[in-house]
Amino acid sequence: MIFSELYSAYYNTIAAIIARIIDGEQSEKELQKIVTERAFGESALTIIPSLKSEKWQLVHSDMTTPLTHRPTMPLTTLQKQWLKAISLDPRVKLFDATFPDLDDVDPLFTPEDYHVYDQYSDGDPFEDAEYIRQFRVVLEAIRTGGQIKFEMTNRKGNTMFIRCHPKRLEYSEKDDKFRLVTAGWRSVSTVNLAKIRSCVPYTGEKQLDGEEREVRHDVVTVKVLDERNALERFMLHFAHFEKQAEKLDKKHYLVKIKYAHDDEPEMVIRILSFGPMVEVIGSESFKKIVIEKLKKQLNCGLK
Amino acid sequence: MSSYSELIKNFEKIRAYMREFYVYGFKSRGGYSSKSARSYDDERRRLESWLGDHMSFVRTPEGKNIFISIDSRTIRHNPLYNAWKAKSFTDGDVTLHFILFDILHDPSVRKTISELLSEIDETYLSGFESPQMFDESTVRKKLKEYCEAGIIASEKEGRKVYYRRTESTDVTDLDDILHYFSEVAPCGVIGSFILDKEEADTDAFTFKHHYITGAIDSGVLSALFTAMREKRAVTLSNLSRRRDLPRRNRIIPLRIFISVQTGRQHLVAYYPEYNIFQSYRVDYLSNIKLEEVTPRFDELRAALDGMQSKMWGVSVKRNKWGSEHLEHVEFTIKIEDGEDFIVRRLEREKRVGMVEKIDEHTYRFVADVYDTSEMVPWIRTFICRVVQMNFSNRTIENQFKRDLESMYRIYGIGEEAAE
Repeated sequence: MIFSELYSAYYNTIAAIIARIIDGEQSEKELQKIVTERAFGESALTIIPSLKSEKWQLVHSDMTTPLTHRPTMPLTTLQKQWLKAISLDPRVKLFDATFPDLDDVDPLFTPEDYHVYDQYSDGDPFEDAEYIRQFRVVLEAIRTGGQIKFEMTNRKGNTMFIRCHPKRLEYSEKDDKFRLVTAGWRSVSTVNLAKIRSCVPYTGEKQLDGEEREVRHDVVTVKVLDERNALERFMLHFAHFEKQAEKLDKKHYLVKIKYAHDDEPEMVIRILSFGPMVEVIGSESFKKIVIEKLKKQLNCGLK
Repeated sequence: MSSYSELIKNFEKIRAYMREFYVYGFKSRGGYSSKSARSYDDERRRLESWLGDHMSFVRTPEGKNIFISIDSRTIRHNPLYNAWKAKSFTDGDVTLHFILFDILHDPSVRKTISELLSEIDETYLSGFESPQMFDESTVRKKLKEYCEAGIIASEKEGRKVYYRRTESTDVTDLDDILHYFSEVAPCGVIGSFILDKEEADTDAFTFKHHYITGAIDSGVLSALFTAMREKRAVTLSNLSRRRDLPRRNRIIPLRIFISVQTGRQHLVAYYPEYNIFQSYRVDYLSNIKLEEVTPRFDELRAALDGMQSKMWGVSVKRNKWGSEHLEHVEFTIKIEDGEDFIVRRLEREKRVGMVEKIDEHTYRFVADVYDTSEMVPWIRTFICRVVQMNFSNRTIENQFKRDLESMYRIYGIGEEAAE
């Protein structure tokens, strides 16, 4: 069962508190810090008071404990089943890791049990040996804060030699691709991982300045006509953005969505996919792109 | 009257609120007519406690609207998982849990129930002013529960039963794997549970186009996976948007269909009563009860495998006599010089069917599918270059063209020429 106190933030927090007490910590202020870091907004009102008042008989009122071992718990069968399921995913080969022995466990699911039906078909070559090698070089550099160098071909067909700080790997489930987000590289900050070549750690002494480039955001405002279940489809479709919705009348809703400026072409076609149920109100520049596309469509002579 | 707690006993209640606050977020307190005002206040307060800064509000003439607003590209871990970590427990549950694992601190330590009982009383509780009392049946029940969860093992020797903790699993090597898969794999919240026990946190990954909504359906998904693994039928409640009350159905779950473009997850199942294959929105399902093992599981799944080449989305149109209804879809687009990326889009985004090159600037997409209407949103993404279409389902084709006319009207296109 997924919904169990065994996985709860409270149990984890209590375990961390007892471990600190066993290590010799008795300051209530320090223990309260663990609650703030590991539990929820209002947990401070419950956890330490319940321990201190001996409601949960694990800690005495003087903040000592009769327990003698730092609390640990083996993985549950459900956790092992999930791990086993993950071990069957081809992407797991990207990681230079050894799975524990899970021979006596059935996977929670197998690739046969689910189907991602609208993922693009030109995803990264996750099982390609060179791709895996480069992935590991990048991941290690992110972990250690090191630099890497690699080659890539730009849009004009020229080979570029790049040295940069890899900051993070951004994975898109729709594209099934990793993008490498970098710092210290003047012309570009993000590159598709599958497009880089000859990637190795940079061991020279030249240092790079610069942080990850800030993402420029824009806001699109649309009016949604709730017919053919459009409102639900629209709100779910754009659920992963920061957004705000307002009911205008029985059938109309106003929705503001914040998106990365670089993703504007994608946003335009995603909004167009809702047809007349979604009208772009602003920005003017966004609306202009939609109108241009529709004008071109009108001239296509579709009968 | 019970007092408020940020922990909850039943997940189902909060599931509906989370969806409302996260997906929609435009209702004020008065808009939740089916629930009591006190219940609304409690659930809102809980969500604020679990999600902190991700909760926002706006004042409108109808009142204060609470909503969850998250740009999932900026977060490294799904905040909605917190709801799964808020299960309530009793004072006895928590006390017994930590004492039992302190006694059974290593798999080599094994105890009988009477040894455990006396150690709990004498070593652990006797130092408290008013010690809690645990009777044998309470401890036995807890041990049974933990044996079922796989964290305690029981061993019978003669007439005695010994309990010990199960072996630990070394996951120290899996840190990156857990960070990545807890966000992208089904039931990722389980990976998040494992991460919670670990100290290391490399945080190398972020995610784009990342739908976090599915997190709140993890319980349903996990139960359906269990049913499929064991090849069982299930009885479940299905709340259709066309009905106020959920309906109980007995079905055979066959496969979960996950969308990475719409945020929806469906179950495709076989409905024995009508001899049909049907899809169900996972977020509308609840109260899943595993039934008997079915001998037909492999045969039905093989039948579904055969159908998938005709499914654009999740619709299956096969009647109870097994005959299929397919619809022919064709549309032609034109591209300009330097727009080869549009052809690449057709190739990589099509899920079934084929792309034909007519000439240097013209390409046709052709497919036979169960349900043309599922393809319409995709075809609309090619607006500005669709020159011809031919659907065997004329109703859908005419609707597509009428929709285009409506769009021209909305933006005042073509009116200049008409004037």
